Amino acid sequence: MAEVEKKEVAAATPPWKPKPRPIVRLGIVLISHSLLVSVVCCTAGVVALFLLPMLAKNTYISENALMPGSASSMLSNDDISEAERLAKDLTSLNSGAADAGIERRRVLAKYLSDLGVEVGYHKFEPHQNQFHPLHFFSSPDSGLSRENGSCSSYGINVVGIIRAPQADGKEAIVLVTPFNFRKNSSSEALSISIGYAVFSLLSRVTWLAKDIIWLVADSQYGEYASVASWLRDYHIPVFSASSSHNADSCFEGNNINLLREESLDRTEISSGFRRAGTMAAALVLKVTDVKGQLEDTLSVYAEASNGQMPNLDLINVVNYLAVHRQGLRVKVEKFLSVLRWEWIWVLGDTLNFIGKVAGSLNPEWKFGISTPDYVEGTATLANSLYRQALGIPTGPHGAFRDFQVDAITLEISPKVVYTNQGRRNEFILRSARLIEGVVRSVNNLLEKFHQSFFLYLLTSPAKFVSVGVYMIGFALLVAPLPLVAASLYVDANKPDPSSQGPKHKLQINFKPWKWLSAAKQVFTVHAWGVFVSLLPYFISQIPNSTPAAHSIIWFSLSTFGLLVLYLITKSHSKPQKGEWENLKSVTISVVFIGLLLMSVVNFATAQIGALVLVPACLLAQPLKLDIRDASLKSFLRIACNVFISFVAFPPVGFFVLKGVNEGFGDMDVGEFWTWLESLWAWNSATYIYIGMVHLPCWVLCLHILLHSC
Amino acid sequence: MATANTEEEKSKSEQQKNHGGGGGFTRWAVLAVIFRLILIYFPGNLNLSSRPEVSTPLTSIRRLAEGYWLKQSSMSPYAGSMYHGSPLLLSVLGPLTVKRTILTYSVANAELKGSLVTFYADLISGILIRATGWKLQMTYRKSLKSLNLLNKSTDSGGLSSGDIAALVYLWNPFTIVACVGLSTSPVENLFTILTLYGAATGIAPLAAFGWVMATHLSLYPAILIIPVILLLGYGPDAPPSKLFRSKENGKVGDDTSSQDIIFSWGRVLHLLVWTSMWSVYVLVLCSISVKQHSSLQEMFQRTYGFILTVEDLSPNIGVLWYFFAEVFDFFRDFFLIVFHSNILFMILPLAIRLKHRPCFLAFVYIAISSMLKSYPSVGDPALYLGLLGLFLDELADMQFSFFLFCGYVGVSLLSPVMHNLWIWRGTGNANFYYATAMAYACFQIVLVVESVSSMLNHDRKLMKLSASKLQK
Repeated sequence: MAEVEKKEVAAATPPWKPKPRPIVRLGIVLISHSLLVSVVCCTAGVVALFLLPMLAKNTYISENALMPGSASSMLSNDDISEAERLAKDLTSLNSGAADAGIERRRVLAKYLSDLGVEVGYHKFEPHQNQFHPLHFFSSPDSGLSRENGSCSSYGINVVGIIRAPQADGKEAIVLVTPFNFRKNSSSEALSISIGYAVFSLLSRVTWLAKDIIWLVADSQYGEYASVASWLRDYHIPVFSASSSHNADSCFEGNNINLLREESLDRTEISSGFRRAGTMAAALVLKVTDVKGQLEDTLSVYAEASNGQMPNLDLINVVNYLAVHRQGLRVKVEKFLSVLRWEWIWVLGDTLNFIGKVAGSLNPEWKFGISTPDYVEGTATLANSLYRQALGIPTGPHGAFRDFQVDAITLEISPKVVYTNQGRRNEFILRSARLIEGVVRSVNNLLEKFHQSFFLYLLTSPAKFVSVGVYMIGFALLVAPLPLVAASLYVDANKPDPSSQGPKHKLQINFKPWKWLSAAKQVFTVHAWGVFVSLLPYFISQIPNSTPAAHSIIWFSLSTFGLLVLYLITKSHSKPQKGEWENLKSVTISVVFIGLLLMSVVNFATAQIGALVLVPACLLAQPLKLDIRDASLKSFLRIACNVFISFVAFPPVGFFVLKGVNEGFGDMDVGEFWTWLESLWAWNSATYIYIGMVHLPCWVLCLHILLHSC
Repeated sequence: MATANTEEEKSKSEQQKNHGGGGGFTRWAVLAVIFRLILIYFPGNLNLSSRPEVSTPLTSIRRLAEGYWLKQSSMSPYAGSMYHGSPLLLSVLGPLTVKRTILTYSVANAELKGSLVTFYADLISGILIRATGWKLQMTYRKSLKSLNLLNKSTDSGGLSSGDIAALVYLWNPFTIVACVGLSTSPVENLFTILTLYGAATGIAPLAAFGWVMATHLSLYPAILIIPVILLLGYGPDAPPSKLFRSKENGKVGDDTSSQDIIFSWGRVLHLLVWTSMWSVYVLVLCSISVKQHSSLQEMFQRTYGFILTVEDLSPNIGVLWYFFAEVFDFFRDFFLIVFHSNILFMILPLAIRLKHRPCFLAFVYIAISSMLKSYPSVGDPALYLGLLGLFLDELADMQFSFFLFCGYVGVSLLSPVMHNLWIWRGTGNANFYYATAMAYACFQIVLVVESVSSMLNHDRKLMKLSASKLQK
């Protein structure tokens, strides 16, 4: 891109070179036809996005060392019945009793220490997610604050660690089962059964090369919080004496039950925080009850914060073992509303037809895809894009990704709620065998997962679009930006024939620096963007107010800030020639840089953002000019501009998307606030993108539209 | 002396004339100062001092604290390959980094004091740049006047180039980051600027002191001796001497001139004497400082040797670390010579071509060395971008300014993201980060090439204009 721009500026210099080099000429041609090129590129970019489900490849296991399913399962019915005994003991405790939680923990710890493994408790305070606008650029632990919160609420995880008998203990595999110790839930008990069955088997086997950690995460304050705080304590030990003293005093002062429990179990349970080696992979296991299913299904959740994905090999292994060994149906979340869209089906039919025609012309061209496959792929892809773009982890596995550990959540849902013990045992057996197989595969790993992709979008559990494919569509979409910026810049800074004075005057006219004033405007608007994105932090401190009130305060403060800025920087001089071209050129360059940055940080956000911002920026032209022109073309452009700038306003865009998905029924102004709050609470880069790239560029586009040239 | 006085008066009258512009300058400069103070006292969680862009092995103040600690505990400050700076810096800045009480308090305190040092260094640098700018502009005006090329429209602008250069230096995000991020590069930059200021105003002892200190602190300013000699010999930047000669003779291209621009050997000799005196002085100070636990030889090995042999391969914004991480060991010496002589090769041709513009020559040298140096940090672009502002009048027709601006903005945003992707997320690798380093190097090359070519174009333009005037 940069080269093109360079060439372009070279083209702008007076033609003392009669014949420029071919590459320069190519650049000149591209820039002089920037309109055509941008229309073609943008269309191609959008088309490429819709072709992605067709271009998806089947997954394959890239790392040879994994060897999934090559060993036969060793899990026996004894393990299952033992696990079921534990589950019964846990559920039989009276849930109403105040110390049921403590009792359950003790039962679990008892069972674990009977297996001969190390058991430990991990106390934690659920952290309120805090606003760290610059979290992304700093290291993960720098934003961490160990303040002394109230000691009233805390959770206790139970951790069991199997030391690999013949290994040096430098690596570990983590199993996580969220469990609410205070409540009785049959599905959570089922997941404990599965976990325990696997764990008891693993405590006996000889082939372990990595330690196994089983974390029964106390989910009363949310599954994510407990796992995240355990991981933080695992990776960031506290050396300072003062802070650990604080934490201890907190627990000692407030809970006598805990002390009693510790004194009871002192013989078996270590009091310190137990660690194993670096984590090779982590599996989060959940069992849910979903009504109306035809068979036992396994849903895979992989998205971590900021659209990060675990290595594809991990998903591949799970998918391979679940489908080919245990006969489970593997699902990935998809947008059900996409399935209802008529035009997607029509598009699928068309693509199917084209594929068939191409196949009949030359049997080697096999890019056809059946219509249902295409629609399913699109729905999954749309969900994959949306989840990554949100930047909010889809489960407790997200906490692992912050420490570079590959993790996924496996959500197993049985066909029916089993009442028959035999059927129930069979279900546990299948699930546990799946986990055992995955653990055994990961156990074979020599290095961290590195062979397969980290950057991909899923279109089905067994199909993916890799970074090399989806980047093409994105690159096509943003390619016109530098071209158009260059051509506008050339137009705006053309040497004016009238101003060419007599030759002997030393003219220092600073013409090539004319873009500076435009850059100043753009910078001011972006500074306003920073102000707007920092505002919610202060607004959220206001006590006793609803999200709707928050959003109204936010909106009015932002508008007020913009007005003040406008009044301060308003120039009274007559608009100069080429002013709006320069402004548009700088705006487009900034959008280009912003989108490029965002595509590295979080591709999905950049892709969705580009779909909106690219046409908005490219089409923007002062309405005055179009009205003066009064042709069909300019009328069309006005219509497009008005429509796009309406939709590109973030709240409007949010409500339109929501309406398309869930119907335009009840809309609440506060919803937008809640949505954004969730974004910043999770440190999503998307929030920064909206505040510092999208919103300022939208304002600049509006400014260009209303420019008085 | 008399000429200096008249020039000073002139500059004063100039200052009064541009009072509005001067007010603007003061306002913005004070704002820059306040902005820095705010950043220093509210450092937030940016963690700037651990960024690879800010703290290289040479400029990190944390390493300096480590060296100071070693020295305090009766060891060589260079033990353990942590500290690679000057022992003098250790004596001056070291006490500021000391930890007195408990951990958290002392670190904050030390950081605060350290940032105040860099803060003052930045402030003085800004003032010196402004003074240099005044001097340069005076000379420029004078030479234009003597060529009858000065027209009134040129001095109607708001701020003079010196003011703009100082503001560019003070408001440059790179400078601010280097200042707040506790790196010693503001101090190094201060001495480089001091050299240029001393040379431009003809104060040989000051120039010699600045040069000796800058060379002592970071080695690369050593090549500035050529611009400094030229500055003292010929005086500040002026159009090519050919022009004046032709004006004298009333005809272009007549080489039989009687009066040439005189190269004042006296001042150069003066400079050389002072340089040797300062060097001896600094060396004596160093040897006193290190003699207890170490030796001068070790100092040279651990500072200059460390710079020249590229021992530390931790990533930075330069291009050498990656290359020397990849290169086979038996080629290492060869490539070390190749890379370092890259800078040396460019000295002579540039000095010949730009000898009439020594300040600009210094800018080009600084830009080239910051591109090819072994441990570059953001302090280096901060310096040369600030100096670039000094030549605003001459470089007004510079091409690609917008392109370069976008490039610098893009690279400086992309580089931390790529680093994050590689180090913290683990989804990228070293190539991602190195790609931004290469892009950055390319932009610097474009900047140097474009600025030199537009400076030469400016000279050609002057030549053409004066020729057309003479023909009339």
